[in-house]
Amino acid sequence: MSQYANPDVLVSTDWLAANLNNPGQRIVEISVDPKLYEAGHIPGAVNLNWNTELQDQLRRDIASKETIEHLLSDRGVKSTDTIILYGDHSNWFAAYAFWLLKVYGHQNIKILNGGRAKWLAEESRPLVTDKPAVTTSTYKVSGVDESLRAKLPEVLAAVHGRSANLVDVRSPDEFSGKIIAPPGMNETAQRAGHIPGAKSVPWSTAVKENGEFKSPDELREIYFSRAGVVETKPTIAYCRIGERSSHTWFVLKYLLGLKDVRNYDGSWTEYGNLIGAPIER
Amino acid sequence: MNHATRTYDDILELLPSEENPSPMVRIRRLAPLGSVIFAKLEWLNPFGSVKDRTAWEMIRQLEAAGKLGSHTAADGQTHTRGLVEPTSGNTGLSLAAIAAARGYPMRAIVPAKVPRDKKVLLRIAGAEVDVVPDALCPLPGQDEGTIALAKTYARASSHKYAMPNQYENQANAQAHIRTTGPEIWRQTQGNVSHVFVSLGTCGTASGLSKFLKEKNPAIKVLAVQPSPGHDVPGLRNTSELGASKLFDPALIDEIIEIDYELAYSTAIELCRTEGMLAGPSSGLVFEGARRFAAREPIPCGVAIFADSVFKYASTLARHIPDLAIE
Repeated sequence: MSQYANPDVLVSTDWLAANLNNPGQRIVEISVDPKLYEAGHIPGAVNLNWNTELQDQLRRDIASKETIEHLLSDRGVKSTDTIILYGDHSNWFAAYAFWLLKVYGHQNIKILNGGRAKWLAEESRPLVTDKPAVTTSTYKVSGVDESLRAKLPEVLAAVHGRSANLVDVRSPDEFSGKIIAPPGMNETAQRAGHIPGAKSVPWSTAVKENGEFKSPDELREIYFSRAGVVETKPTIAYCRIGERSSHTWFVLKYLLGLKDVRNYDGSWTEYGNLIGAPIER
Repeated sequence: MNHATRTYDDILELLPSEENPSPMVRIRRLAPLGSVIFAKLEWLNPFGSVKDRTAWEMIRQLEAAGKLGSHTAADGQTHTRGLVEPTSGNTGLSLAAIAAARGYPMRAIVPAKVPRDKKVLLRIAGAEVDVVPDALCPLPGQDEGTIALAKTYARASSHKYAMPNQYENQANAQAHIRTTGPEIWRQTQGNVSHVFVSLGTCGTASGLSKFLKEKNPAIKVLAVQPSPGHDVPGLRNTSELGASKLFDPALIDEIIEIDYELAYSTAIELCRTEGMLAGPSSGLVFEGARRFAAREPIPCGVAIFADSVFKYASTLARHIPDLAIE
């Protein structure tokens, strides 16, 4: 069986259980439901709130460089630390944090394969409510890597020039335009459908029932053989608000090793609100 | 306790048993000619539903294992261990009421989509309620959010919480082996021929089938399920049974699928024609029995009516146009 392109970005639950107290390491939980951390987390883990901490609270944007520096300093992370991320829903927001922290240049980041669900399913794995004693640090962002992020002009150029793979990771009903957003979601758009030329690969297609990522061969089959993603072309992944797509971004860039993969964090709530932008259904 | 005078020292003495069965009432007008169908009125249990049986069995089991109540933890401190359970409906209410009667704290983990009244009811019965956001993109095979949060509490705060886990706990089926099955056997004097149940955690279907088929292998256990896409509270279509580890198709003779809208309209029929204030799942179960009776006569059928209509007024008003009040 073949390997992931970058196997070192994943750690297993076995490995983490045996390495909970490694020096130079910070475990970070980032779940859709922040109550999960309060109810119980992996020993030593700190928490990040995707909604209030990783997004700019005034304008629509990712958290600023200064916010990230403040957050990581507050959680005691040093720039040389290895950050191990995990969360619920098959690491959906853990992957978002991975993407964001890569944009802000953090070197060593790993994801717990299978996330919170796999840890919980394994009955011997400890969960605690005590928050770790953290000595704050002075975290400095080393640089901002905009090449991981697609903005609207690049998306429109990809549409017109057919120069990039567009991967729509939303549900089939959102892709087909049957619905604009899943029921009950506040963030929505004026129009339903998808960006012309996009391939539909719902984000969760990349994970197994136990929450772990599928094998390299299965992932290649899903993205390259079935969906028709061309390996030699740049790729842009998008969803509704740019978070589920960071999971697919992680799979394509780190597990399958595509060179140029960007996450379009404006996603459908930007594109589907544009005047005059072409839409397919 | 005196069942003859119905005078009791403790609310829990009202819980159903072979000596104190929930009533069975014959459906007189709506049952097809040539068939005898009894409704077993589970809403006359003390906390209002069939789930009183499951809740009591699970709590008895935890008590017997010394997992509830006052205990000294590893740190030398004394704690009271209570319950944590993912639940959106009747099981939660039964657990909360029994926990209150026994003096245990209870934390219920409820999905956001559950109607407000049900969450408030749990609080009224003394439970702490955690509301979990509905899964945006639920993944097959993985624990639903409520189950994951409950399991997290039970593991991280095991000094405070034990989790009955109705979806996996064999006590759920055992409750019906110990009580519902023997009740029906005795109430029908061994003549029961068909039992109609709905599927949720599948404890009722599995437990009844195990008990009754041992008494008489010819007894048929029929599960009635709503059509896919349904919104009948507490029920599952077999395509949604991933969460339950108690579902065993070998114990069920046939699954009868009914258009879910009929759960509501048949419940209204039962209310208006029989004076039985049955909830939607009872409507569905009776509709299944009625369909079956159109195919072959039922000499002595028992339909489990899980709860009454009282909790579902607004749900019914959404489905039955003539109930709408301006």
